[in-house]
Amino acid sequence: MQPLWLYLHFPHLQLDSLCDAMPQSHAKEHDGVSAHINHQHSLVILHHKTNCVLQLNQAATDAGIRIGMGLGTAAALDQHLQVLSYKSDIEQKKLIEIAEHLYLVTSDISLFPPNGLLLRIHNMLMLYGGLKGYWRALKAQLNDFQVHYYYASGQSPYAARLLARTAWNQISDHLPMLLHQIGIRQLVDSELDRKTVDKLARVGIHCIADLMALPLKDVAKRFDIDLVTYLGRLSGEFHHPMDFYHPQSKFQRYLELLYEISHTDTLMFPMQQLLAALEQFLKIRDLLTQKIIFTLYQRDQESLTLEVGSAQGEYQANKWANLTVLKLDNLTLKAPIFALELTTAETQLRSPEKTDLFNASKGTLSYLQLISLLQAKLGEQAISQVMLDDDFRPNKVNRYVQPQLKSAPKPILVQPLRPSFMLKMPQPLTEKVTVIHGPERISTGWWDSQPITRDYFIARNQHGQWLWIYRAASKQWFAHGLFS
Amino acid sequence: MNTLLEQLKNKRLIWQGSQQEQSFTGNSTGYAELDEALQGGFPQSGVIDIHSPIGIGELRLLLPALRYRQQDKRLLVFIAAPMQINGEMLAEFGIALEQVLIVQPNSAEHALWSAEQCLKSGCCDSVLLWHQQLEIAQAKRLQLAAEQGDALHVVLRQNRQLSLSLPVNLAMKLNPHAQGLEVQITKRKGGWPAHSFNVNMSKAWPELTLNQPTDNVVSFPRAKVS
Repeated sequence: MQPLWLYLHFPHLQLDSLCDAMPQSHAKEHDGVSAHINHQHSLVILHHKTNCVLQLNQAATDAGIRIGMGLGTAAALDQHLQVLSYKSDIEQKKLIEIAEHLYLVTSDISLFPPNGLLLRIHNMLMLYGGLKGYWRALKAQLNDFQVHYYYASGQSPYAARLLARTAWNQISDHLPMLLHQIGIRQLVDSELDRKTVDKLARVGIHCIADLMALPLKDVAKRFDIDLVTYLGRLSGEFHHPMDFYHPQSKFQRYLELLYEISHTDTLMFPMQQLLAALEQFLKIRDLLTQKIIFTLYQRDQESLTLEVGSAQGEYQANKWANLTVLKLDNLTLKAPIFALELTTAETQLRSPEKTDLFNASKGTLSYLQLISLLQAKLGEQAISQVMLDDDFRPNKVNRYVQPQLKSAPKPILVQPLRPSFMLKMPQPLTEKVTVIHGPERISTGWWDSQPITRDYFIARNQHGQWLWIYRAASKQWFAHGLFS
Repeated sequence: MNTLLEQLKNKRLIWQGSQQEQSFTGNSTGYAELDEALQGGFPQSGVIDIHSPIGIGELRLLLPALRYRQQDKRLLVFIAAPMQINGEMLAEFGIALEQVLIVQPNSAEHALWSAEQCLKSGCCDSVLLWHQQLEIAQAKRLQLAAEQGDALHVVLRQNRQLSLSLPVNLAMKLNPHAQGLEVQITKRKGGWPAHSFNVNMSKAWPELTLNQPTDNVVSFPRAKVS
């Protein structure tokens, strides 16, 4: 099988990965790749060392700014220019994100950081019934991202890369045409370093075809071995080893915002984008997670972490969004947010809850979902379940614990005639009561240095309330509970 | 004339006595006097509004019904109880503690919110809420949520002042009584307000009732011997 490679080049990945936090500009997302960038303000991304424009949006192009201009010239052309510094790690994160998404339709992906992806496609063609079907599937995946890309196929990795970086934008497996296309490319566009290109130019070699025309032996004699290796790899005669991408088992996504956000309500929109990505990630792997962690990067402040938990594992974005909204209510931002990151804690395989088809409840939540909902809004300490300990001391019997999975507790011997409401601390008895029943002496606890000796009585006060009172060894009377 | 009536009826602007559901089935409350007054017992779902001082037996009035409702393995929720709920007493009465959830929110607003969430979740069969002032709109929301989740919602209120009539299934006023409770039903869906009556708890809780003055004492005949 003739090897065939496809290279995707993303010319302004950092610009494309900026998240527009305004929902209205989101409407155009399906109009194709080129249509969505229509920001009103011109925006350029500047290389911090050379200080010249690397990436720019449509508005900036309209203003007359071009790639390679200095900041001074660019600022002179448009006074409302927004400037961002180039960060290759943002591009790299986005690149991995794209690779992860493409992995759903294609198997061998190699990363060319910061802005290129190489795909080995000849082994995928059988599955998609030819180049056309494959490219259609791939394009559909790419359209999920709002990124610009150049693409080209080639008989070798370098050939595909060269054609894509010069924006050939065609897919073909016709070898003579590919060779011709490579032949007419200039040497300056190739992977060769500046020095070699200059050296070749001095002997009158300007494009690839000139170089290819020379016998390899002569080239090896005249120039260094790197050029020979490059030529061999470009033509596909030499083997080109590749490291292929393996998808991660953990979800982690970073989102840089186009505008800084200082209100928690507006924060929900970019968060939903992240949650949608999470849903897709988990759904494909048939996984659930019980906890997601948002990291909010604040300007000039330490970043905030927002942990959202769900006792029942979830993958759906809207369920997570509901819980996140509740958490956001309790959050105060000290400084504007410029970026978000979403990670998950441990994931687990989804195992559907088995419920009776005919006895299904009318509600929409399960037991664990309800508990997560309450915990998200009220805090974890507000929800409890009561467990009984085998102890005679009334203040030791009840143990209030975090709600757990339904399990029948071990049966203990419970005492009859206990009040339904207990006071946290016994209060001195201050009113006139009539003792109706009693006494019941409780004298125990000698083993853990909290012994009690009390005579408990049931009494009724003048308002008809039933009290549980006791007389301590010191002959003082206390009220301890109410028979409600 | 007839068409006008038809139109009004279609818009649900007039209410006819015959529309009232007659087939009311209640779950037994566990007390014969109360069952009789409620014609069967507490409704299956909806809101019950109870005005009562705390600690006179208001929870004991509900417990048999709550225990019965636990059969379908759903949750019993206590929201904003005025004191700590004693699990020992519930367990002694036969209520499954693993199906009991206790919620203690910080504010009355949060308490109402949690009640609504619990009710409409569908996984709670009874929700008890201690709350002081309930407005009509809030009662309506709780009522809808309770119907949606097929749950019974009991609102326990202590304030004595009379408030507006709320859109609830059942409203009761409780007063202490020597043998149990004095119950006055102030509102019942599909029924008329009745006179107050006594619920006798001396069978279930003999220790928590005052001794009835025995009426079987017959004065010793004083036969005159002459």
